[in-house]
Amino acid sequence: MLLEKGKVSGFQLKALVIGFVFGSSVITPPGIVAGHDAWIAVFLGLMEGLLIAWIFTALTRQFQNKTIVEINSLVYGKILGTCMSALFIWYLFHLGSLVLDHYVRFFNLEVYPATPKTIILVLLMLVCASTVGRGIEVIARCSLILTAFILLIVVSDTLLLIPHIDLNNLLPVLDVPASQLLWAGHGAASFPFGETAAFLMVLAFLNKSESGSSAIFGGLLTAGFVLIVITARNAAVLGGLATISNYPSYLAAQVIDAGEIFTRVEVVVAINLITMGFLKISVLLYGTVLGLAQVFNFHSYRPLILPVGILMVIVALTEHTNTFEMIEFINKSYPVYAVPFQIGIPLITLVVAKLRKLPQTGGNQL
Amino acid sequence: MKRLKHCKIYLAILLTIIALFLSGCWDSRELDKLSIVSGLGWDIEPDTGEVTLTYQSIIPGEIASSAGNGGGGGGQKGGEPLRTIQLDSDTGSSPYDVLSRYTQHGSRIPFYQHTQVYVFGWDGAEHGIYGFLDTQARNPVARPNVLMVVSEKKASDILGVQDGMESIQAVGMADIIKLSAAFSKYPAITLLEFQNRIMSKTTAPIAPVIGIFEETGVEGEKIKKIRINGTAVFKGDKMIGKLNERQSSGLLWAIDKVEKGYIDIPEASLEIVKAKSRMVPELRDGSIIITIEIDEESNLLEYKGHQDMNPDLISKMEKAQAEEIESQVKAAVQKSFSLNADVFGFGEAVHRKYKKEWKALEPKWDDIYPYLEVAVKVKTHVNEIGDVNKALMKD
Repeated sequence: MLLEKGKVSGFQLKALVIGFVFGSSVITPPGIVAGHDAWIAVFLGLMEGLLIAWIFTALTRQFQNKTIVEINSLVYGKILGTCMSALFIWYLFHLGSLVLDHYVRFFNLEVYPATPKTIILVLLMLVCASTVGRGIEVIARCSLILTAFILLIVVSDTLLLIPHIDLNNLLPVLDVPASQLLWAGHGAASFPFGETAAFLMVLAFLNKSESGSSAIFGGLLTAGFVLIVITARNAAVLGGLATISNYPSYLAAQVIDAGEIFTRVEVVVAINLITMGFLKISVLLYGTVLGLAQVFNFHSYRPLILPVGILMVIVALTEHTNTFEMIEFINKSYPVYAVPFQIGIPLITLVVAKLRKLPQTGGNQL
Repeated sequence: MKRLKHCKIYLAILLTIIALFLSGCWDSRELDKLSIVSGLGWDIEPDTGEVTLTYQSIIPGEIASSAGNGGGGGGQKGGEPLRTIQLDSDTGSSPYDVLSRYTQHGSRIPFYQHTQVYVFGWDGAEHGIYGFLDTQARNPVARPNVLMVVSEKKASDILGVQDGMESIQAVGMADIIKLSAAFSKYPAITLLEFQNRIMSKTTAPIAPVIGIFEETGVEGEKIKKIRINGTAVFKGDKMIGKLNERQSSGLLWAIDKVEKGYIDIPEASLEIVKAKSRMVPELRDGSIIITIEIDEESNLLEYKGHQDMNPDLISKMEKAQAEEIESQVKAAVQKSFSLNADVFGFGEAVHRKYKKEWKALEPKWDDIYPYLEVAVKVKTHVNEIGDVNKALMKD
């Protein structure tokens, strides 16, 4: 019985990883806690993110063509394995609702103040659900086009902002205490780099399973580099305002003014969020429903898409009562909350698998 | 199978009909329901703290007809000057209280996306404009590159002066500010720059000051015009003083905002073609020395003497220019010392270079600032002398 027949190429996976990392971080670049040194925090976060990626890709190299749910049941046995999988699936589901929350709050504040949040979320969720229903291959192919498009937008955004850059805003380097910088770095690792642990549900469907690690690392490095540039650019353009603004990239785009004609282009930044948010939510929704289907031994994950999608929307609508709560959660609680899921589960599973000398029958058995 | 096919057709028709009614978002606002605010005036009563907002709004129909007449701002309709702008003014305890009163007489909602200038009345600026800065920072509609101006009188007086080549006065006002900044007379300060200066604990925000003057027209009638008269200096959110023309130029030299402009020395007039300046702070035995290094290149526009050009003359002009620039900068520095307001960002320059020492310096910067040692080093170069190299008329 095969739940997923689609196959993803290494290049598509790389584009998908880039899109996934951009997700909502493209409008709220991480590491803001470190003030104008945020770009250093993002760099540290990228390093930690690569470490996290090393752990979970090691796991998938060990168990080729298996998702984390299948790996868990192999490593821990039926009952404990199901518990571990349930935790991981919860994380994917909750992360999906967090991204939705971030997405809708941005749109509600900046672009569509009067449109009800529910409508924005339901429309987005319908698109995601229909994509997820067509399988991972469609999501991956979408990512090729969308990520290329967004990279183009980000590059042109940055080029247009060059006249407004004041590098003095980035000085002095390392102005914040080391502890604060490290915390900001860890925050950047947990959101967005470490979230790529969600690809434990996707890596099984590569057409060449050995291309997985290089695609993940390549995607992380590309996305990390772009995020470092964006964070440094925002601080250089906006100065102190970048550290107190909720959506600094959006604010920076408002500054763009080429000859007083090419101006008011900030809505383009909203397009970044629409497309990249779509990719991230699709991957997370896909991971959640596929994981559930595997746990319950369903023949298809498709019937789960809508109910899970609706639940995700409901959680997104109810979990934070205002943007400040959300920002506080991202900066203070999330870096701790995410550790067991991003590092804990993959690392423990890897260690236990090594101790039990699994897989005994070779990795390529389907 | 056939039923399913029918279902699909019905669904397609249903979706098409729904789409017809769902085009556009909840927030769609039609142009004829909006009052496009071109300039926003902000006056505060110093005693009561009451806020008076003045909206200068564009009357779109009149703009179109004035353009059609080819008359621009000077268009006439039946002998009456065209009304391209409308002023509305309300007073209340806070900006949003004012807005709620505006709805008692306004027919359209103010729309701030195209605001060109924020004008602050003199008394209001002295009273403090933090209320304004906070509302603008929170408001997603506020654009970061709107220009900030302090009015010599009330903001409502300035916004009413219809003047110049532009049919919308606030646009004209913004253009005046931009032009004076382009010719390095007075700074053009955007909301973003103002916010950044205020967020640094030591740097003093600045903004150009606009005043009204009267001219007598050809038929003896009085014509009101506006002009930039100085640079307002803030301490925190409160205005504490003003730099005059010479001090403003000195300020621009020191903060590297000079691009082009004219420079006048006793023997010649020159055009600045290239200018670059740098602030170099130095901590030496506990005292702080700030060196402002300026490189300038200029072209000769007018030579007031009757001599033929010669190398001595050119080096003399270069030296005189350097002295002139230095004295402008010194004038600005003296004024800022007497106001005890760090308009140059010397504090931030020290912060950038000496981040460890800065932690101790920052809290007592007000006590340190007036006693800073400031050195000005100017290098000048005359690039071109124009089309002739000898004098037209000899002595």
